Amino acid sequence: MSFFRRKRLFTILLALIVLVGLIGFSLTDREQRSTIEEFFQDTFGWMQQIVLTPVNYVSSFFSNIDSMIDMYDENQVLKENLGQYQKILYEVQELRKENQELMNLLDKTESIRDYTPIQATVIARSPEQWFKQVTIDKGKQDGVEKDMAVITAEGMIGKIQSASQFTSTVLLLNGFDRSNRIAVNVNLSEDDEDARGFILGYNEEHDKLLLEFTEYYEEIPEGAPVFSSGLGGVFPHGLEIGVIEELTTDQYGLTQIAYVEPSANVNDLRHVIVIDRDLETSTSADVSEEED
Amino acid sequence: MSRVYLPLILTLLIVLQGAAVQLVPTSISEAGWIVVIHSVLLFLILLKLFYDLENTYYVLIFAILSGLIIDIIYTDIIGVYMFSYSILVFFVHGMRKVLHANFYVATMLTFVSIGVVDFLLYLIYQFIGVVRMDLTVYLSHRLMPTLIVNMILFFLFYLLLKKRLVKWSNERFDHKQSAH
Repeated sequence: MSFFRRKRLFTILLALIVLVGLIGFSLTDREQRSTIEEFFQDTFGWMQQIVLTPVNYVSSFFSNIDSMIDMYDENQVLKENLGQYQKILYEVQELRKENQELMNLLDKTESIRDYTPIQATVIARSPEQWFKQVTIDKGKQDGVEKDMAVITAEGMIGKIQSASQFTSTVLLLNGFDRSNRIAVNVNLSEDDEDARGFILGYNEEHDKLLLEFTEYYEEIPEGAPVFSSGLGGVFPHGLEIGVIEELTTDQYGLTQIAYVEPSANVNDLRHVIVIDRDLETSTSADVSEEED
Repeated sequence: MSRVYLPLILTLLIVLQGAAVQLVPTSISEAGWIVVIHSVLLFLILLKLFYDLENTYYVLIFAILSGLIIDIIYTDIIGVYMFSYSILVFFVHGMRKVLHANFYVATMLTFVSIGVVDFLLYLIYQFIGVVRMDLTVYLSHRLMPTLIVNMILFFLFYLLLKKRLVKWSNERFDHKQSAH
């Protein structure tokens, strides 16, 4: 132990070298985590589930009281909406049946719309808030894989960053950068065809997602809904991402960009759904090549 | 008993960090302020001051291990917390030889340590490119609120733990010396 005392400078240098080595190791584009990381992630995930259950219970109790105050007004609105849903439900069923028949006619069974949902619960959130990530209680054993989309009832919230055996980490939408592009469609009500583009990442200044269109579209209304197109090869078609908030051009004035307000609130998450696309997904390496 | 208690408390603190963000009101984060709770580091500093001896290095080992675990389960990049925490415990270890461990020294050392650790984290993450934030924005929006919250937490920890730590330290190290 006197080793530390005599060679203080040496120790600090050694620590620096270890730091650089470890950072270099974790920055490389890894497909899978090492066994040691998975072990720690799973053990602590398990402990978090035990310890955090009462904590979450208390905090959800308070948010329940909060929402009870607005309950009466909300109930009125919901009752009105319910009448309309009946009609839409009937239409959806008819369309679904028709779609099924047409698909059978073509001998086509799989579509990029299809997915298997995996229900999961958020067990922890990174205390280092520069990392926009949360831990969920489902892992490889439940069929979760890297790069799967994660949604809530309101819309998409992120994707699986890494999966361990029993837990996995979700990268939230507000932590997306250029290496996590999403191919999207913007729904134009008048036109038959949807506008196509990519979500390039999260813009910190505007607190919005940045969307770049592949072509120039004359009229894109503000408030138009943005959906995943499924053409990126990872996410299924038709996951709601947000609505267009502001339409501009980039700094050179050549491409059309838009700021997209995410429809799901990523700051208050409890229950999420991991989306396992039924159709074969291409690997992330292929996707980035295609998109470039 | 401290052999069992200390790793248990550390583990519990690491686990609780995952819930800490939920306890911070959303109005603070919506205003753009970032509060990071370094409860593990606070505990490590108290351990170094009141439990560990001048010539023992148990806390340094705790610091390396808990930093590594925080890196693995809460961030993508391994080594940053591990490095910052262990360097700061090393620093407190050095200061302990010069200064007498009392309440004022502990307050001052904690204040400096939290500030330096958070700034180290900022420097490293900025260097790697995890975060792009101007220094002035960092100082006003992250360092200041983080320091305030952590100092409040420190007083709480001090009241709860100081006597116990001194007791455990006496039990453990006196026993060892008499055995020799």
